[in-house]
Amino acid sequence: MTCTLGEVKNRADLIVYWGGNPAECHPRHFTKYALMPKGRFVPNGRKDRTMVLVDIRETPSVKAADIFLQVRPAKDFEMITVLRALVKGQPVDPQLVADTGLTVEQLQEFVDLMKKARFGVFFFGMGLSMTRGKHMNSAALLTLAAELNAFTKFVAMPMRGHGNVTGGDVIMRWTTGYPFGVNLARGYPRFNPGEYSTIDLLIRGDADAALILGADPGATMPQPCIDHLARIPTIVLDPKVTHTSRLARVHITTAVTGISAPGTAYRMDEIPLPLRPVLKSPYPTDEEVLRRIYKAVAAKPPLAVPVMPELAAV
Amino acid sequence: MLRIKGGKVYDPANGVNGVAKDVCVGDGKIVAEVEGGRTIDATGMVVFPGGVDVHTHVAGAALNFARAMIPEDHRRHKHFVRTLTTRGGIGGSTPTTFITGYLYAGLGYTTVNEAAMPILSARHTHEELRDTPIVDKSCLVLMANNEMLLDQIEAGELERARHIVAWNIWAAKAYGVKAVNPGGVTAWKWGKDAKSLNEPIAGFSKATPGKIISALANIVDDLGLPHPLHLHCNNLGAPGNYVTTLETMKLLDGNRAHMAHLQYHAYGGDDWSTMRSESVLIAEYFNAHPNLTTDAGAVLFGDTVTITADGPWQHILYKLTGRKWGNIDVENETGCGVVPYVYKEKNLVNAVQWAVGLELLLLIDDPWRVYLTTDHPNGAAFWRYPEIIRLLMDAQFRREQLKKLPPKALKRIFLAELNREYTLYEIAIITSAGPARALGLPQKGNLGIGADADVAIYNDSKDVFQMFSYPRYVIKGGEVVIEEGEIRKTVEGKGLLVRPTFDNKISDFIRPLFQQYYTMAFDNYPVEIERIEHPEFRPCKQSSR
Repeated sequence: MTCTLGEVKNRADLIVYWGGNPAECHPRHFTKYALMPKGRFVPNGRKDRTMVLVDIRETPSVKAADIFLQVRPAKDFEMITVLRALVKGQPVDPQLVADTGLTVEQLQEFVDLMKKARFGVFFFGMGLSMTRGKHMNSAALLTLAAELNAFTKFVAMPMRGHGNVTGGDVIMRWTTGYPFGVNLARGYPRFNPGEYSTIDLLIRGDADAALILGADPGATMPQPCIDHLARIPTIVLDPKVTHTSRLARVHITTAVTGISAPGTAYRMDEIPLPLRPVLKSPYPTDEEVLRRIYKAVAAKPPLAVPVMPELAAV
Repeated sequence: MLRIKGGKVYDPANGVNGVAKDVCVGDGKIVAEVEGGRTIDATGMVVFPGGVDVHTHVAGAALNFARAMIPEDHRRHKHFVRTLTTRGGIGGSTPTTFITGYLYAGLGYTTVNEAAMPILSARHTHEELRDTPIVDKSCLVLMANNEMLLDQIEAGELERARHIVAWNIWAAKAYGVKAVNPGGVTAWKWGKDAKSLNEPIAGFSKATPGKIISALANIVDDLGLPHPLHLHCNNLGAPGNYVTTLETMKLLDGNRAHMAHLQYHAYGGDDWSTMRSESVLIAEYFNAHPNLTTDAGAVLFGDTVTITADGPWQHILYKLTGRKWGNIDVENETGCGVVPYVYKEKNLVNAVQWAVGLELLLLIDDPWRVYLTTDHPNGAAFWRYPEIIRLLMDAQFRREQLKKLPPKALKRIFLAELNREYTLYEIAIITSAGPARALGLPQKGNLGIGADADVAIYNDSKDVFQMFSYPRYVIKGGEVVIEEGEIRKTVEGKGLLVRPTFDNKISDFIRPLFQQYYTMAFDNYPVEIERIEHPEFRPCKQSSR
C-alpha cells in the first residue's frame, strides 16, 4: 500500500523514516514532500506532523526527528514483528524486545502514535532493505502498514535513489512482466533474482559481454564482478569517464539526459516527469547510440537469434 | 488492395446478416470495388468487423504495479518466444504490452478502450499504449474523485467544473471521462468509503456521490463527448448493491451514461452468506431506459488479478482473501487497489458472480446496449472471451456448467431458467458494432464503405470456442496482420482522442491550486501531444442544451 508523494504532502501527520538518512541522501525530501510543506489537510506544515526516525545510529537526520528509536543492528525484523504483535494487542516476549535495544514502553508508545495518526507513512531505506533479512524486512514492514489500515490510513514507500532507477524498473515490467533480474536468452523473459541478477551473473562469470548504461558498477559492485567486467568486452555509455570506463574496452561519451537530451524520468513514487534539454551537446544521446549499435548488429548475417527487421530499419 | 471473397458477412451496423458477399479494401478503408491486388478466399468462413473492447485495463501505473506483484502468475501462464515479426513476452492475467496487442489481434479485436487513467500518470499510460501494437487505443480519464473538481461541485460552480473537466481531458490526452466509486476513493484516503448516494462524502459538507454523478453526466453531454460518462457505481461487489445501482440509473435520467461492468453491481442479499442475483430487476430497469449502455464485466472461474481505482473495495477483498494487497493513492485525483484473486466454482459468492454476468447478457433484450467484457483482468483475462461466447450461444452447454455449481447457488440465480441463445449476428453486435457505437466511433465496428478496414475472418464452425479463439485472418487498417494463426505483420495502432472546448483562462484558475496541492510543476502536468502515437482526433458535438 503506497501513494504518490502529494498524498504525503497533503495528508500525512505521521512520518516514519526507517533505515535511511534522508537529510544527507534525499536532501529535498523533507522540504518538498514529507515534512515542511503546508498541505491541504495539514495546513500548518511541520507543526501538524510528527516525525519518527528508526535507525541503528545517530545521523544528521536525527535533528529533524521528534522521536528517534535506535534499533540494534540487524534487529529490524524482530522490532517490526513486536510492533505487529502490539498493534493486535498480543503479548510480547520481554527478552525479544530487549534484544532490539528498545523497551516495551517505547514500542507501545510508537504503536499508539501510529494508531492515533490520521494518515501515517513509512519511508524505508537501504538500511532496512539491504541489511540482514533484506526483502524479508521490507515485506514485514509492508505487512505492518497493511495491518495498520484496520485502524487508520497507513502507507509505505521505499526511498529509491540512483537517478532513474524507478524508470528502468517500470519499463522492464511492462515489456517483460518483471522488474529486474530478467533473462531473455531463450527468446522470452525469465525471472530469477539471485540467478539472473547482474551481480550473480558476473560473479559466476556467465556473462561474455557487458553493455553499461548510466551506471558505474566499477565503483560500487563487489570485486569479483569488477574483475569479470575487466575480463570481458565491456562497453560503457556515459557522459563522463567513470571507474567502469577505465576497465572497459569501449567508452562512448553521450549527451546528459535532462540537460542536453530529452526523455522521461520516473520519480520514486512512479510518477513520470518529462525531461527537457536546456543545452545542446556535441555528443549523441544514449538512444541514438543504441539504435546505431542495433542497426549495425542487425545488418550482420548470420545471427543465432532473429532480429526484427522493422526495428533495425528505424 | 484486397478482396475478401465468398465469406458470410456479419455487419450489423449495416443490417447485413450472414450474406455471402465480397468485402473490398483499399487504402486502409472499406471500398466498394477494387481492381487487382490480393484476394483472400473466405469460402466457408464468416467475416466480422474487427472487435472493439469498450472496457479493459491494459496499460498504466496500476496494471504495471500488478505485474510486479504476480511473478507466479507470469510463470504459470503461457510465454511468448520472439519471432521474426513479434517480440517475446508474457501472457497470463496481465500480459506485457506487446503481447497484449498480439493477443487482442489474435482474437480478432482491433480497438481497445483503456478504462482508467489518472491524469498525474497519464504520460505513463500513453507510454505503455505506444508499446501495445496492432490495436487502436483510447483511454478514459478518472474524474469522479478529483478534488479540484469536487471543490467546484461543493461550491455549486458547475460552469467552472465543466471547464476543468474539459481542460483535464485535454491535459491527459484522453478520449472520455470515467467515474469510479464517485466520492468513495477520496473518502478512502481517510480509510472510509462512500456508500450512500445522498450523504456528503468524507472531507466535504455538500458534495455527495449523487451530485458528482449528475454533474459529470451533464458535463460530458454538454461537452458533446463521443462517449457518454463511463460510470463504475458506488458499492461495487457488495451484497445488496443493486439498490445503489438502481438509484444511480434513476439519477441519470435525461443523460447518456455507460454503466461499467454491471455484473459487479447487481447483487441482492444482506451479506456474503445471503448474497444472490438481482439481475432481473436491474435488466428490467435497464431495458426500459434507452439512455443507458453497459458492459457485462463477466466472471470466469480461475485465477486472475483484480485491479480497480476502487481502493476501499480492494481493502475489503484483501481482508477476505488474506492474500497480497497493493494500494496506490494518487494525489488529489484517484487511487487504485490490486488484489490477486481466484474465482472458484465451489464458492457460493463466485458462483453467483459467474451467473450474474451471463444473466445480464441474456436478460438485456437489446444487444446494441450490452457489450462483452470481463473488465479485464478483474473478472477474467480478455483472451478468455471465446469461453463466454460459447456460453452465450449454447444453452445446453450452460446447463451442463450449472451442474458444477454448489446446489445452494442455484436457488440464488436465474440462469437455469434462461433459454436464450445468441446468434452470430448478435455476437457481432456485442463484440464490435455495439461497443463501436457506444464509443462514438462510426468508422469502427462496421464494414460499410468508408469504414476503417479492420476485419476478422473466422472459420464457420459449430465449435464456437475454437472458431473465435483462432481467427483465420485479421486485417487491421487494410493490412493482413494475422494469417493462418500466425502474426505475419505488426502494424502500429492509432491513439484516439478528443479536444473538447474550454475557456483558456481556466488554466489561470488551476495553476495556483495545482502549485499548492500537487508535487509536480504545473507545466509538466499536461501530456505533450507528441507523445501520442498516430493521434486521431474525434469530433465533439456541441450540445444544444
